[in-house]
Amino acid sequence: MFYQTHLRSIALILALGFLAIYASFGSYFAREIVVEITILAILAISLDFCAGFGGMVSLCHGAIMGIAAYVFTIMGVKLGWPSLPSATLGLLAAVLFSGMVGWVTARTSGIFFIMATLAFGQMAYTFFFKSRWLGGDDGMGGISRFDLSWLGLDLNDALVFALLGVGVLFLVYVVASILLRSGFGRVLCGIHSNENRMQAMGVNTAKHKALAMACSGFMAGMAGIIAAQHTLYISPELLIWTVSGEVLLVVILGGIGTLVGPVIGAIILIMMKHELSNYTDYWHMIVGVVLILAVLAGGRGVYGQIEVWLEAFFKPQAPKEPKEPTESKEKEQDLA
Amino acid sequence: MLKVDQLSKDFGGLQVIRDLSFQVADGERRVILGPNGAGKTTLFHLLTGVKQASSGNISYAGTDISAMDAVGRASIGIARSYQKNNLFENLTIRENLMLAASAATGKSNWFIRDASLHADVKTRIEETAEMVALSDQLDMMVNAISYGNRRQLEVGLALATKPSLLLMDEPTSGVGPAMIDRFHHLLDSLPRDITILIIEHDMDLAFSIADRITVLNFGEKVFEGTPAETRGNATVRQIYLGEAK
Amino acid sequence: MDASFWLLQCLNAMQYSMLLFLLSIGLTVIFGLMHFVNLAHASLYMLGAYFGISVSAMTGQFWLAFMLSPIIVTCIGAVLYFTLIDRMRGAGPMNQVLVTFGLIFVILDLVRLGWGDIALGLEAPAELSHTVSFWGISYPAYRLFIIALGLVVMISMWVVLRRTQIGAMIRASVENADMAASLGINVGRLFFLVFCFGCALAGLAGVAAAPIFSATTTMGITILIPTLIVVVIGGLGSLEGAITGSLIIGFLETFGAVLLPSLSAVLTYMLLAAVLVFRPQGLIPARG
Repeated sequence: MFYQTHLRSIALILALGFLAIYASFGSYFAREIVVEITILAILAISLDFCAGFGGMVSLCHGAIMGIAAYVFTIMGVKLGWPSLPSATLGLLAAVLFSGMVGWVTARTSGIFFIMATLAFGQMAYTFFFKSRWLGGDDGMGGISRFDLSWLGLDLNDALVFALLGVGVLFLVYVVASILLRSGFGRVLCGIHSNENRMQAMGVNTAKHKALAMACSGFMAGMAGIIAAQHTLYISPELLIWTVSGEVLLVVILGGIGTLVGPVIGAIILIMMKHELSNYTDYWHMIVGVVLILAVLAGGRGVYGQIEVWLEAFFKPQAPKEPKEPTESKEKEQDLA
Repeated sequence: MLKVDQLSKDFGGLQVIRDLSFQVADGERRVILGPNGAGKTTLFHLLTGVKQASSGNISYAGTDISAMDAVGRASIGIARSYQKNNLFENLTIRENLMLAASAATGKSNWFIRDASLHADVKTRIEETAEMVALSDQLDMMVNAISYGNRRQLEVGLALATKPSLLLMDEPTSGVGPAMIDRFHHLLDSLPRDITILIIEHDMDLAFSIADRITVLNFGEKVFEGTPAETRGNATVRQIYLGEAK
Repeated sequence: MDASFWLLQCLNAMQYSMLLFLLSIGLTVIFGLMHFVNLAHASLYMLGAYFGISVSAMTGQFWLAFMLSPIIVTCIGAVLYFTLIDRMRGAGPMNQVLVTFGLIFVILDLVRLGWGDIALGLEAPAELSHTVSFWGISYPAYRLFIIALGLVVMISMWVVLRRTQIGAMIRASVENADMAASLGINVGRLFFLVFCFGCALAGLAGVAAAPIFSATTTMGITILIPTLIVVVIGGLGSLEGAITGSLIIGFLETFGAVLLPSLSAVLTYMLLAAVLVFRPQGLIPARG
């Protein structure tokens, strides 16, 4: 069950503050990295929302993001719509696709859910890959960034764009945390814990899960809109299943079921990638090793582990119950 | 009033419930007795809509609910506690009760407000915890509390939905005499506007709380009557009490 | 589109189906037995191709490479078994997917380190490098060999699983591993043997495929998705399911590509989605 603890608020402020400072005082290159991080972090929050809290480990989040980016681009570039309605339609497409996937797969679980989402994601990927009208594997260009001059902002300025990205990341976090603390989110955690009992208490769990996927799709769609605006070019590469796998990696690396962990995971992964690619062409291997180690170390992730330690440190007094051996385990589940 | 009319259920040719009819009045405490395999738990599955009957009808409060699914039946006030604990293991007792209370009051459709902070939900959590004697452990994780406490929470989850019809599947299964007394007390203290069907193996408890008793054997109703009548019935003694004692 | 066109396409589809079968049978039996999803299975296929090319280049002997490469891959599989797979068995599908996803990255870069980024080819052996003419078409002998190889493996697997002691043990363990263990079957050793056998078949598929498609670093990822689809459509853990699934996907993709080029790829995914929705246990599940 989700609680916006002080620790999480502090971690979020530190992470966002770091990104803002890094973008403000860094080079053009640093600003590009910050945008990359925000896109991945938004996507990871979106995946943590359904996987960490709803138990729906999706391998189609890359595709959801890609669909938003494609629909946004089709509307803007092919049909000449203004950017705001195009973006809204892109988000709507992501929400519909994601909600549809959630609805259809509501009765599957475990590896079958993973496979089903993989299939739906690859279906979308193949569709765009094969579509000549949409540029096939070459993708599409010609995207322009939002015109926010009425706010006095020029999004073509790398710094403004990066800071706006950080702002959107914050917004998505807030949306996710409000949803998770609402009655809906609480019940979502209940479904994750014991779906059968939740049904017996009168909750239509299939509808609930589909709605949760739709909410998650909205967040992933945000990442897609920013991604399209960032590179001003999109290709089917956005939708390929390994992108979704990488997002899952970020969630695990940061700490699944903590919501702020994925943000930290995204910072670590992107920074690591960029640092490593300076030294070696084989950074994928190192990422793979880190992933394996993260799972073998207990799968709590960097932030998740720190949270467990700090909680144990600040509450050292043993509770009245003589349950010492299971105490640490309870804590970790409490936080999840 | 709960009305069961000529209910049958077969699993691949095996008849688990056979032509079963009975009625339970509002506010009644009805105990279902029967040896293992008599079809008691299957009857509960059919009443809650987890399984659909092969034939026959179930009506509750004047409406035919035979075609309604489990979610629908839960939302008209039919709740159930399980023979094997079916709890939210990795959550606290408070969170468990909160989920039941939110589910029953439609707060699962609140997308912004926090149901756990809502006054209704809070009082319901406290009231239920009081009823099942778990008030002082509200913030314990379920997987860290004792088996007896979990049995109490099992009933608590059903009660927190404020049901009008409560089906309890062996609430005292696996607990000691002291805990059975507690359950006895709990059952006595439940408001009379809740109709209760209870599968119970502890004879003393069963006979002392029941208004009427229905005895099942091989999926058929073999007897129905007051506790005193049940005690005196030869068939019942033979198939059930004789076997148990 | 005359008869020879259909015959040719059927042979192509058969050859693709057999490759898919060699890969999916290992994956599916490992899943059925150990409840383990090994996404890195297709990386072992890639390793099979690369090791085959290296052995062949060193010795100049295709058939030696054909024998040795599956053995090398099996050894690598055994190492993976003891370091990771065995440890992750009870860890739930998400962790298994993650760890084997990590393995894909690691193996991919190891291959790039060892063999470089360029595609490598392997010559079909001299005795199979000709084409065979029959019923009005001519078809490469090596491709016919692949079809035959797949059929031989298929039939021997069927015989082993249905007619031998070890087959009965495997089926019993797929049905209920705890029960099998209480009947005195050494389930741990059985898991290991089956895992190694699955790796050997993946390696075999790799070296067998190398003369047809050249070896590239993306060959593993490319074939992983169709293999997973075969396994899910057929039913996790089932031999008959793997056979059926391979044939369905092999024919669907081959004929789809020539008859409905715009729809073909989406067709496969739509089939998978339909199976998952209407028959999530697969077409021929291992358990009743």
